[in-house]
Amino acid sequence: MPVIPEWETTMVKNILIEVKNLSKYFNVTSGLFHQERTKRLRAVDNVSFNIGKGETLGLVGESGCGKTTVGRCILQLYRPMDGEVLFEGTDLCRLTGRELRPLRQKFQIIFQDPSESLNPRFTAADAIGEPLRIHNTVYGHAYQERIAELLNLVGLAPYMGERYPHEFSGGQRQRLGIARALAMNPSFIVCDEPVSALDVSIQAQIINLLDDLQRQFGIAYLFIAHDLSVVRHISHRVAVMYLGKIVELCDRDELYKNPLHPYTKALLSAVPIPDPKVEATRTPIMLKGEIPSPLNPPPGCVFHPRCPSAFAPCSTVAPVYKDVGGGHSVSCLLYPTSRP
Amino acid sequence: MTVESILDVDNLTTHFFTQDGLVKAVNGVSYRVAKGETIAMVGESGCGKTVSALSILRLVQEPPGKIVSGRVTFEDVDLLKVSNSEMRRVRGAKIAMVFQEPMTSLNPVLTIGRQVSETLELHQHMGRQAALRETIKLLGMVGIPQAERRVKDYPHHFSGGMRQRVMIAMAIACHPRLLIADEPTTALDATIQAQILELIKNLTRELGTSVILITHNLGIVARYAQRVYVMYAGDIVEHGPAQMVYDKPRHPYTLGLLASVPRLDETRKTRLLSIQGQPPDLIYPPPGCAFKPRCSYGTQCRDEEPELVEVAPGHYCSCQLSRNGKLPW
Repeated sequence: MPVIPEWETTMVKNILIEVKNLSKYFNVTSGLFHQERTKRLRAVDNVSFNIGKGETLGLVGESGCGKTTVGRCILQLYRPMDGEVLFEGTDLCRLTGRELRPLRQKFQIIFQDPSESLNPRFTAADAIGEPLRIHNTVYGHAYQERIAELLNLVGLAPYMGERYPHEFSGGQRQRLGIARALAMNPSFIVCDEPVSALDVSIQAQIINLLDDLQRQFGIAYLFIAHDLSVVRHISHRVAVMYLGKIVELCDRDELYKNPLHPYTKALLSAVPIPDPKVEATRTPIMLKGEIPSPLNPPPGCVFHPRCPSAFAPCSTVAPVYKDVGGGHSVSCLLYPTSRP
Repeated sequence: MTVESILDVDNLTTHFFTQDGLVKAVNGVSYRVAKGETIAMVGESGCGKTVSALSILRLVQEPPGKIVSGRVTFEDVDLLKVSNSEMRRVRGAKIAMVFQEPMTSLNPVLTIGRQVSETLELHQHMGRQAALRETIKLLGMVGIPQAERRVKDYPHHFSGGMRQRVMIAMAIACHPRLLIADEPTTALDATIQAQILELIKNLTRELGTSVILITHNLGIVARYAQRVYVMYAGDIVEHGPAQMVYDKPRHPYTLGLLASVPRLDETRKTRLLSIQGQPPDLIYPPPGCAFKPRCSYGTQCRDEEPELVEVAPGHYCSCQLSRNGKLPW
């Protein structure tokens, strides 16, 4: 089996997925009787990034910032309004459902709540085997063997395949979700908050498992989460989203050492560090107010009403998302030019 | 202890008599809160941290739950012995609680103003007008803009963070001596979480209120609590001043918890040290130390009831290994 060395550079070689100017709006009807009054909710607004082979890109942001929508748009579970999603060079957005189906083996998803994403009337083996049955790749004895192999891979015993989801604990159910995603040997998995519903000690088990699987099979992940410390741990690069836009994207170490966007700084400082000594020396940056509604985003920079460093043009000029050097991109008027 | 304690919980035991069997949710825990102090109860889901706090207020649903034994001394009165009507005078007035999910703890068909002023009318015997004026003041204190207008709004008009602010306004309305905050920010986003926790900290400091902070987030404990109690399977396994517990955890469970959370300020570890296995079934807990089946050090431990022993001044631990002072980690 190929062993993928850990990523050390920020430059993306061997691009697997390229997302260009991706936008997804939803039409929201308001009013009980006058449903014709529709508004546009800009869930994802002109987002571009790429993911290399065997790489993990972390996607953080608060609820409603559009991070899940980005994941679903890549998988074509939502059809984007605009933009391209190039998977190994093919634009998925232009393919029909029928054309997409064989490609879907290559990209899978792990959901947040493993108890809701498993059919309660399927045994564990049925659930894991469903992709195998849909894509008709293995039959008979080989099918049984593959399921046993998958259960082993995620740290469950093959005899557990006969059990139903309610007989598993939360952590074990998440392992089933991972096994199901692995069934077709994907090269890319969207992990949508896979550990948010789990307890701390179980969370670490699942993160380690995802890490091991990546090393073993060279799978690329889009790791969506709101917990910045978890995202930094598992990702090679991290993208920070706010109100449908990526505001900053950089290497995981750079993100903590040298955050540029005021929102990233606030987000980092809001995460308490489990050490009273360290905490005694930190003063969290308190953001004013709450996240504005994506139905009615503020003009100019979407972050300016809450931004502690906002200055005059922020309320009118929308910042451009640009590379400021070293693979570090940011969308903020404070950084007008490229760094040397 | 020199500091006067406001709450003394002694050997509290709460069981649930369910159809599947007897669930020993809280198994003889003792803790104390000093005046103006913030303590944290930390542990994973189902470890009994919430039930141990609900038992103080006698809010455990009966049946199936029952406070089997113990003493809860609050201002020299055993709360487990007082009558129901006396208990009602304590709840909300002297001991207040903020719950995890503000939407389920607010009444959806009453205005926010009505719900906050109800507390004031009941406990402070204020008239409607006076209570409403006080409510507006309180809502301003917890950072709700245009409070005069918003008192007429219903809970669904508020965002999650704003609802939690309303809950806090309600909790501090009668200037309680003790505030129990049960996972007050778990349902909220990171930046809002920081706002709410700072608000609780500043308000309680201003009013001299003691706080029991129930959380699973070790970072929040480090930021806000002076002392910490670590719970596992219905028992307190370790407690002491936060700094001591974090610097030198004496229980392998505490050690495991601290090692399994990634830290932003450290260079990334290649692997997280996770705790193997699952928390035990509380109907059939393992004999002796409940953590033994998951413990990587305690294979030689005797199957005896764990007992909290002082391992350093003010620092207690129930692990057999830490008693002799030589830690295997």
